[in-house]
Amino acid sequence: MRARLALYRLALYRRRRMLVGLTIGMFAFEVLIIVIARTIPPQDMFAGSIRQPPSAFRAFSGSGGAVSLASFPGLLGAGLVHPFWIAMQLTVVGSFGAAAVAADVEAGTIELLMVRPISRARLLAERTAALVTGSVVVTTAATAAVAVGVAATPRLHQAVPLAGVAAAGVLGLGLALCIAGPVLAVSAAGRHRSQVVGATIVFGAVGFAVNFVAQAWSTVHLLRYLSPFHYYTPADAMVSGTVPLGSLAVLLAVFIAGLAAAGWLLARRDLAL
Amino acid sequence: MAAVIELTGLTKRYGAAVGIQELDLRVEAGEVFGFLGPNGAGKTTTIRCMVGLLSPTSGTARVLGLDPIADHGRLTPRIGYLPGELRLYGELTGAQHLALLGELQGTPTPRREELCQRLELSGRDLGRPVGEYSHGMKQKVGLVQALQHDPEVVILDEPTEGLDPLVQETFFALVSEASEAGGTVFLSSHVLSEVQRACGRVAIVRSGRLVAVEAVAALREARARRVRLSFPDGYDHGAVPLAAGWSPTWSGNELRLLVPPDELVVALRRLLELPVTDVAVEEAGLDEAFLAFYRQAEAEAEARRPRAPAWGAGLPSDPSEPRR
Repeated sequence: MRARLALYRLALYRRRRMLVGLTIGMFAFEVLIIVIARTIPPQDMFAGSIRQPPSAFRAFSGSGGAVSLASFPGLLGAGLVHPFWIAMQLTVVGSFGAAAVAADVEAGTIELLMVRPISRARLLAERTAALVTGSVVVTTAATAAVAVGVAATPRLHQAVPLAGVAAAGVLGLGLALCIAGPVLAVSAAGRHRSQVVGATIVFGAVGFAVNFVAQAWSTVHLLRYLSPFHYYTPADAMVSGTVPLGSLAVLLAVFIAGLAAAGWLLARRDLAL
Repeated sequence: MAAVIELTGLTKRYGAAVGIQELDLRVEAGEVFGFLGPNGAGKTTTIRCMVGLLSPTSGTARVLGLDPIADHGRLTPRIGYLPGELRLYGELTGAQHLALLGELQGTPTPRREELCQRLELSGRDLGRPVGEYSHGMKQKVGLVQALQHDPEVVILDEPTEGLDPLVQETFFALVSEASEAGGTVFLSSHVLSEVQRACGRVAIVRSGRLVAVEAVAALREARARRVRLSFPDGYDHGAVPLAAGWSPTWSGNELRLLVPPDELVVALRRLLELPVTDVAVEEAGLDEAFLAFYRQAEAEAEARRPRAPAWGAGLPSDPSEPRR
């Protein structure tokens, strides 16, 4: 193991099997969505009941409202906000987030690492880099599957430009990082990996639920701004072919704020139970 | 002589609980210094403050003149540390651990091969995941990683745990060589004989407080005397005046005591006024001397409480004050 970025490599090495599994799973899931989109025209999906799905369904199509679930971008967007996709991303964030600090504190291995000339900032930086790498790998797998499907299917390609697929992928990474920021802060202050995994689930599940409720119930519609999923609109990105920079900026700002909090907390904590 | 390790009023609290309190300690260059105490006495907390894993609540720790937290980057290349509860990554091999930790150390590791040979870690052993290792094997890897970069100061928390007697011999030889080469060794243990064998001086901690700092030779001198007294059948045990610090135990009509040497003559005079049928006095073992320190400290704590004076009292009044 090379000295350069040794902590980064260690985190990835220890989670390599999980990462490979998630990558394959994510790729396979998006291939399944493509297969569904190729075989069932989405405009027929709601033909028997309602043409226009309820507004709360936007939460499931990955759109701020401009794209219907009953369309190709809506269906592909649904594959990128599906609970399976979210669960895969949260697994990466939770696992690598816990590995940042809390897992080593719980296991006691922090005592071996941090009695070397390694600053706490370096520990956090390398472990954050490993988390970002994991998210990039999994998101790229999903995005690549969609891109290949779109490129290979003229009907889909007509409705969804490849640039739009790439933009959705960038936004997906933004969402993962948005959740990762506070998760890293929890890890930096935590003593148990379960605290970090729990926080990851809470940020992900509560974030999704808040967005869903805000779209379904007009009285609390302003709550949607508190959810990272409000800023994650892959269906809209697929239609426009561009990354919504405002939304991406919000997602990345949360990540940076969480990372800064993590650095602050880590610098002030005891590193042993 | 310059202090390599200097603790001044070192205190660490965990909320309301006290880990260590007002610890003052000075270890000189080239010393092999023992740090004795039972589990939970504060040994590991002290050591973690010394290596920068814990920040003191108050007081200071300085190692090689550096603050373990503020000067972490300058201090850690010069120290070797074996944690008391050594935890390794189960899926990594021994060789991967040594490579990883050596490289994180950022200094050459000239002694790795030699240490592996002397501690009987074969290439085959090192190629296996440490999850398959016995406790003793893991401890060997821990010792190699602590010493492989030839540090100036070696801090070892319960280093012989799990080592078989032959490997313990090698360990003591390594400690001795490190000291002869001018290095400083700080060795924590709850086994007195281990400290007696390796160390020149020893600090004893109890409930987070320093009880004593003594040369091992002086500790031997100060060891308690084991007194055995036999009484006639049916003699009332409650009629024997005893001090709490003497650890009295009855076995039938035989009373066993551990009496500090400076109290021995007075104690015997008083006890022999009783109808004693037999008496024997001998030097207690070093382990018992260690226990005697504890009992003495406990007796001192008792004595601090306001109450009617008991026969045999008269020990120093402040248990927090180390005996130097």
